[in-house]
Amino acid sequence: MDIIIYGTINSVALALYALGFALVYGISRLPNFAHGALYVLSGFVAWSALNILGINYLLSILLAIAVTAIVGSVIYQFFLIRIRGMEISEIIATYAIALAILEGLRWGGFKGMTYTLPPFIEGSAAIGGISVDYQRLLTVGVGAALVAFLWLFTHKTRIGLALRGMAQDERAALMLGIDSDVMAVVAMGLGSSLAALSAMLLLPLGNIVVESGYNVLILAIAVCIVGGLGSWAGAVLAAFIIGFAQILTAVYLGSHYQMVVALLAIILTLIFKPSGIFGQQKELEERV
Amino acid sequence: MSLRHRAISTFLFLIGLSLLFVPAARAAKPIVIGCPLSMAFLYGWDAERGITLAVEEINADGGVAIGGEKRPFKIEVIDTRDLEPGVPVSEALLAMEKLILDKKADFIIGGPVRSEAALAAMPLLSKYKKVSILTTGALTPKYTDLVAEQYDKFKYCFRIHGEAKNLVGEIFANFTELKEKHGFKNLFIVAQDVSHARGAAELVKDIATKKGWNVTGLEIYPTGATDFSMGLLKAKDTKAEIINIWMDMPESAILLKQWHDMKIPALPFGSTLAAAEQPGFWKATNGKGEFTLCNVVNAGNAPSNATPWTMKFYNAYTKRWGVEPEGLGTSSSYMAVYVLKDAILRAGSLDSSKIVDALEKTDIVGVYGRVRFDPKSHQIIPSTDPKEGAVGSILQWQDGKRIVVYPKSIAMGEILLPPWMKK
Repeated sequence: MDIIIYGTINSVALALYALGFALVYGISRLPNFAHGALYVLSGFVAWSALNILGINYLLSILLAIAVTAIVGSVIYQFFLIRIRGMEISEIIATYAIALAILEGLRWGGFKGMTYTLPPFIEGSAAIGGISVDYQRLLTVGVGAALVAFLWLFTHKTRIGLALRGMAQDERAALMLGIDSDVMAVVAMGLGSSLAALSAMLLLPLGNIVVESGYNVLILAIAVCIVGGLGSWAGAVLAAFIIGFAQILTAVYLGSHYQMVVALLAIILTLIFKPSGIFGQQKELEERV
Repeated sequence: MSLRHRAISTFLFLIGLSLLFVPAARAAKPIVIGCPLSMAFLYGWDAERGITLAVEEINADGGVAIGGEKRPFKIEVIDTRDLEPGVPVSEALLAMEKLILDKKADFIIGGPVRSEAALAAMPLLSKYKKVSILTTGALTPKYTDLVAEQYDKFKYCFRIHGEAKNLVGEIFANFTELKEKHGFKNLFIVAQDVSHARGAAELVKDIATKKGWNVTGLEIYPTGATDFSMGLLKAKDTKAEIINIWMDMPESAILLKQWHDMKIPALPFGSTLAAAEQPGFWKATNGKGEFTLCNVVNAGNAPSNATPWTMKFYNAYTKRWGVEPEGLGTSSSYMAVYVLKDAILRAGSLDSSKIVDALEKTDIVGVYGRVRFDPKSHQIIPSTDPKEGAVGSILQWQDGKRIVVYPKSIAMGEILLPPWMKK
């Protein structure tokens, strides 16, 4: 029972880390290596709004999500638009931006272990004799709702359909009058807001530290590679595979090997199925 | 104004201007203290603040009398980044070399902070014959063991804070008390995957087994781990009554929050547990860290009356930095500057060999008791009595305060159990 409960929680956390990264890559083929940095940035924005500006917690969260979405959009509009299509340059540029954000936060004094966000709901419940706190249960609920929302958004709204059009065939989308740069800005904004939303859900479980930006990025990349770059469904499935594998590893082999699971998953995927479970990079598969 | 008058005016102006600079030109050359510290982390910035406070106090008092003049101390801090994940030890060595060669450090006080980096820096100190007083972070016994084994080579290395073996002894004194008082017999160990923590955890496991404890598990977590639920459930399932924690990563706060949320019936007893050392821990965990114990290595890092200097330092630090002494390297870093000053005064020179001799003869009552170095290993001599040696401090979070519970000679309270552990 404990494996099921904490495996599910761990998997949802991984899915939340990865959804924003998967969404941006899926739509604009942009590997956003600043994803982890945006996650951390949103945490510090919410903390500052709550503790320095004294804004209400809910408003602080909304402000953090909005600010992160704007930062993501600005990153595309002012930096990435110039190197669009050059994947190595995109990786280098986004990683450089991530370093600038994270080291900038550290330089600005955001260091130490005492930056935290309060949980939405205090207390815990016993499920099958296993104690689980409400914040983690809420994370699972919101994670599931988010996946449903994303599906509805991309299948039922004009912007969502345009984003999917971009993801499927950018040239065809351009012929139909969809502005690829505008859609990429929207995708970056949406992906960044997803990073912020996951931060708002997961950071109250621990503390806000600059170093977690790198860990979030590694986990997001692992999930996306295993699930197939650009596939949201693949990302969710991969999150559950890696999430449960990590918990099973912790139980039967030792927690020491937990981090190895994600990295091993990347290596095995690249060896046996380079395009990932639901990868859309068929050309890569054909080449292999 | 005639040309002659203008020339005289200019001449007088230049003389006046030069007089303005006379005091500066005559000012004594400062004694440079190089501080290699991992500045993004608690054990780096708390040490810098401790050193700065001591230097400010000494300089305000006129500096250090040497060679017929009073020379001020000057601090040169460099970020070794050695506590950051993924940063190679070579970074710390480069930083250390820069301090010595570029910044012309006369002495080294502080780090490197990570044990691996501190050990790697020893040959460098030996090469440049620079006296170093290690004050924060590095707990490995190997550091001072190496001094004892190869004295001529490593005689420049001193450590002014407690080391892992000493910490383990202090922990077991508390375990024994808990065993006698509450009948505890099951111990679960959690450690971070870094050299000193792994080594210390293994050591605790061996000693505990020999002392009749039932060690129900040893979980090693990678640096950056964010979920500790399975380890905590193992501790619960194996009926552990104490969880001994060896972690200095920020995510250790998550472990303690999870411990509270899951109501694990085992007392979290941190050895190095950076998250719980900071005064802001209570607010950061919304009080969920209550009952957590941690070892802040030396007295003065939490309020106590170990010596008359303890609270004087504690209050001066709080006034200067707006926060109470924060981590295990605070009081020791502060004290190292005073110990160096004392050694320079007695040596009457900055010569490394003479300073080594003087440091070996150090015997002063400082913030955390009597400060003396073992002349062979250059490790500070520990004690549970501040009149005899350097005393440690184990604190427990009780009702929002850091209460020193060990050693008994300076304790401000007793260990309490969380409500869900009371029978």
